[in-house]
Amino acid sequence: MENIVEVKNLTKEYKKKKAIDDLSFDVYKGEILGFLGPNGSGKSTTINCILALLNFSKGKIKIFGKEMKPNSYDLKKKIGVVFQDVAVFEELTVFENIDYFCGLYIDDKNTRKKYVEDAINLVGLQEFKKYYPKQLSGGLLRRLNIACGISHKPQLIFLDEPTVAVDPQSRNNILDGIKKLRAEGATIVYTTHYMEEVEILCDRVIILDKGKIIASGTNDELKDLANIKERITVETKDLDNNHLNEITQLPEVFEALYEDGILKISYKNEKNNLENVIDYLKSNQIKYRKIYSERPTLNDVFLELTGKELRD
Amino acid sequence: MFFKNFKYTFKALLRNRGLVFWTIAFPLIMALFFKMAFSGIEEKETFDAINVAVVSNEYFENDGILKDVFRTLSDPENEDQVFNTSYVEEGEAKELLQDGKIDGYVVFSENAPKVFVTKNGVNQTIFKFVVEEIVQSSDTADIIQAKVEKMFKEQNSGGFWNTLGMIFAMMQENRSNIKDISDANLSYMTIEFYTLVAMACLYGGILGAVSISWCLANMTNVGKRLSLTPVSKIKLVLSSALAGYVIQLFGIVLLLILTIGVLKVDFGNKIPQIVILSVAGSMAGLTMGIAVTTGIKASENAKTGILIGVTMLWCFFAGMMGVVMKYVIDKNIPIINKINPANMITDGFYALYYYDTLDRYMTNIVGLCIFSAIMLAIAIFSLRKQKYESL
Repeated sequence: MENIVEVKNLTKEYKKKKAIDDLSFDVYKGEILGFLGPNGSGKSTTINCILALLNFSKGKIKIFGKEMKPNSYDLKKKIGVVFQDVAVFEELTVFENIDYFCGLYIDDKNTRKKYVEDAINLVGLQEFKKYYPKQLSGGLLRRLNIACGISHKPQLIFLDEPTVAVDPQSRNNILDGIKKLRAEGATIVYTTHYMEEVEILCDRVIILDKGKIIASGTNDELKDLANIKERITVETKDLDNNHLNEITQLPEVFEALYEDGILKISYKNEKNNLENVIDYLKSNQIKYRKIYSERPTLNDVFLELTGKELRD
Repeated sequence: MFFKNFKYTFKALLRNRGLVFWTIAFPLIMALFFKMAFSGIEEKETFDAINVAVVSNEYFENDGILKDVFRTLSDPENEDQVFNTSYVEEGEAKELLQDGKIDGYVVFSENAPKVFVTKNGVNQTIFKFVVEEIVQSSDTADIIQAKVEKMFKEQNSGGFWNTLGMIFAMMQENRSNIKDISDANLSYMTIEFYTLVAMACLYGGILGAVSISWCLANMTNVGKRLSLTPVSKIKLVLSSALAGYVIQLFGIVLLLILTIGVLKVDFGNKIPQIVILSVAGSMAGLTMGIAVTTGIKASENAKTGILIGVTMLWCFFAGMMGVVMKYVIDKNIPIINKINPANMITDGFYALYYYDTLDRYMTNIVGLCIFSAIMLAIAIFSLRKQKYESL
């Protein structure tokens, strides 16, 4: 696999406190690499170091095989960035904003016109071309932010929490757009603290905490790191302590918790667990409203590795 | 890329209502306000002669020049009489002052004259100023007398505000040592308009500050994005600054058209030189804005506040809130007005209005260019930074 980004032993200190601690990873061509971690874990700082915006204490960074410097204009032409904070001109319309940022990369007028239209279509802002940013909802503003970052059709795209505080419709639109970008051949680095997005989008995931990589791999590889392999949830009001004790004794059960009419059973292995629970409930004539099985989430992995929830 | 950034920065600046108000509309509104306020004052206000006393000691009695000057200034037949002078013993002068019957008295001696006042007002300032000018002048008695006559007799209309204008004129004249002054009469209103144009030039600094902040990753989110485009920082900064400068010049031209063309304020007839001075003044304002933005570590709002504050302070020292302040600064801390761009602009206008030669005007133009070069040097030094410690 071709490496698009190579990061070796990256360390960044703020006043002797390590914001990034000896990070090493690669980004492969055509993949979506997710950076998952709570706020303050070092995701944005890592991206800012890669993009040569921030000084760092030590380490080496290469993009497309070349060292990234502030004046690496040949590399910058191939990179698109969407920051967490919306970075557009309040005084320019949707079309003008996209045309402006695209125009700083693309000289040819006809090509630029097409690229701008493509970007507007990608994020679904066709009806809002003449709107000013302050006239847009939070979700539409985020879409504009993305369009400004990717309108020049970059080969490598950094998306830093692009869906923070957006409505579900805009979020779906944004995630669909990112999938399209990858389908068109872009390599994407995606940071978020929403584990659901990582699970939907990313080929590989790096989990960060306090500036350190605590785990990395595909979704399945990461979930294998958790002791829990399956979780069954039952919504019922007919349970007492005796039932709970008996459920804990069922095969492969790791933990059983009952609170506010919801029973959660965790398993060490996936072996007909749902069938066993249904059998137990039937045999004890316990009525239930809902029952479902889930695989462990990345939050479970994070909880297990750090002892805290991802969104703490 | 240069033109693309210029075009959209220009559009964005021009659509920013706050910026357009402060840099273009506000000076125009102030011009209308000045015209209404000062025209009325100049027409209605009459100047009452100031009650003063001169201690008639041996030194005064033996100095013909002093006696002549005070006699001329205190002549009740003169419609521009400045002083109502009593010639008394020192004890009596003290009593008159304590009783509030005079605003001050002066004791002449071989050393510097001593002026006694009980409070600081306009009358007291005029009195002190005239005494100092008479004594410090190296001119002959005839020239002093001629000047005094010229300044206090040749005014088209008498009045308090014109008298302040005369003081300004006299002050400038003595400083420059140029004797062949024209017959032009500079009114107080015109001086106020000079400072207004100076303020408008320096307010352009806000345009410089905003346009440059859009290019800097540590200032704005847009700056962060622009820092990652394949366009060099110098190209971005220059094209953005140029956009701000063009808008600023547009505002200045509008102000000059309103002031000279519509409100008929007499700036003299050297229009090309007036425009060149405004262009140089605007450059000083713009570069000051860029230097503050790049050189000071503070929030965007704090930097705008600093810029407005510094501009107002320069204009205050240049006499915007009363020409007496300009005199006080020139006399006591001359270095301030030597480096004050607002003062260089007003002084340049004054030189154009009053003198036939362009020497003094050129001195101010060169001064503004040096000021701009220093501001640019500060900005370039600050902009060298390619990466940041934090964002």
